[in-house]
Amino acid sequence: MRMWMAVLCVCLMSLAGTARAKESKAEFKTVEAKHFKEAEGVELSPAFSDYFYAELRNELTKAKLASEIVGEGEAVDDADAATSGVISGTITEYKKGSVVKSALIGFGAGLRSLKMDADVVRRSDSENLCVLHVHIRIDPRWNEKIMAKAAARQMVNEMKKALKERKAA
Amino acid sequence: MSQSIKLSSLFLCLCLTSIAGARTAADEPKPKPENTISVKLAEPVPAQKFEPAPKFSITDVTDRSGNPQPMVVFKDRGGLFLDRQPTAILREAIDDSLKSANLRADDPGSADLTVRLYLFHFGLAQGSGLDFFSKVEFSAMVKNPKTGESQEVKATGTAIARGAVRKKNIQKNVEENLQEALKDATRNFLRGVQLKEAINSLWKAPDASPVASGMVDSKTANTGNHQ
Repeated sequence: MRMWMAVLCVCLMSLAGTARAKESKAEFKTVEAKHFKEAEGVELSPAFSDYFYAELRNELTKAKLASEIVGEGEAVDDADAATSGVISGTITEYKKGSVVKSALIGFGAGLRSLKMDADVVRRSDSENLCVLHVHIRIDPRWNEKIMAKAAARQMVNEMKKALKERKAA
Repeated sequence: MSQSIKLSSLFLCLCLTSIAGARTAADEPKPKPENTISVKLAEPVPAQKFEPAPKFSITDVTDRSGNPQPMVVFKDRGGLFLDRQPTAILREAIDDSLKSANLRADDPGSADLTVRLYLFHFGLAQGSGLDFFSKVEFSAMVKNPKTGESQEVKATGTAIARGAVRKKNIQKNVEENLQEALKDATRNFLRGVQLKEAINSLWKAPDASPVASGMVDSKTANTGNHQ
């Protein structure tokens, strides 16, 4: 019985150890998300930019890529600059889609489409850490905010993947 | 005969209009203790460090949102109201944070820099419909009362919270969401690069301390004696 208790204690302690290691394993100390610019010809509502910015910060927080997600234009301590990142980008293309085409033709025709390019740079020396390309296609009847939500999620997933590959290389 | 039909139809129209008006008035939500939320910072937001630090004073907060009902947060499901004006909430949040960082002047006359706030948005913004999206947006006019120079500092705070179906959960989620947006906006202002730049350009710390000037005086006096 005592033996089993000892084994259980050792197991629990080792599990607690791994949990602590995971918590402190954030990629960055801070990450600053910026409002994305819109390329010429992109006609999205003004509220889209704000909503996407909020959603991107939300997804970055959920992904635990950084210990702290700072807002646009916030100062970061000089000591943390080397381990901090900044994510900025441009919405390069937006196609409104067509409900008629989507309903009559189907097979992906008439879908609403959004393309975005983003860069993740190190704050201290502006070294480019990864370049992200996101392409989202949704039903034209859906709200554009749902598109923002999907785009933010995909962007953070791409970022995670790119940083992992960079680390492995 | 036709006259009586006309009169009766007119009477019917009047009745229908009055009923519709009464129903609209009944649908308009009214603030009650159970549908009123209190939005305030759970704890003051830590400001960035300034060396030397100026003392601030908030002179005025102006609502520029153009919202005719600034205290109504949510109109559906019996409505959701704020317990105070958004301008008062914002003022308190920034004032408390400045005080905790020892950046607030004890009286407005002794302040090195005065801050005038213009609130552009406070409350829920258009979201995806599946969640609550709160936004607090304001601009601060930082002014040096001695020189009269001023500079604008913009700040925005956003927060997204899960949607809810039950009224109680809607109230709880909206309250938390607004508090998060307020905290984010206050933090964006107090830790922003724009505020740092405004302070650097508008205010210079008095460089000669009384002790140092006293030493210079005594040295000058000694030199005079030697001559």
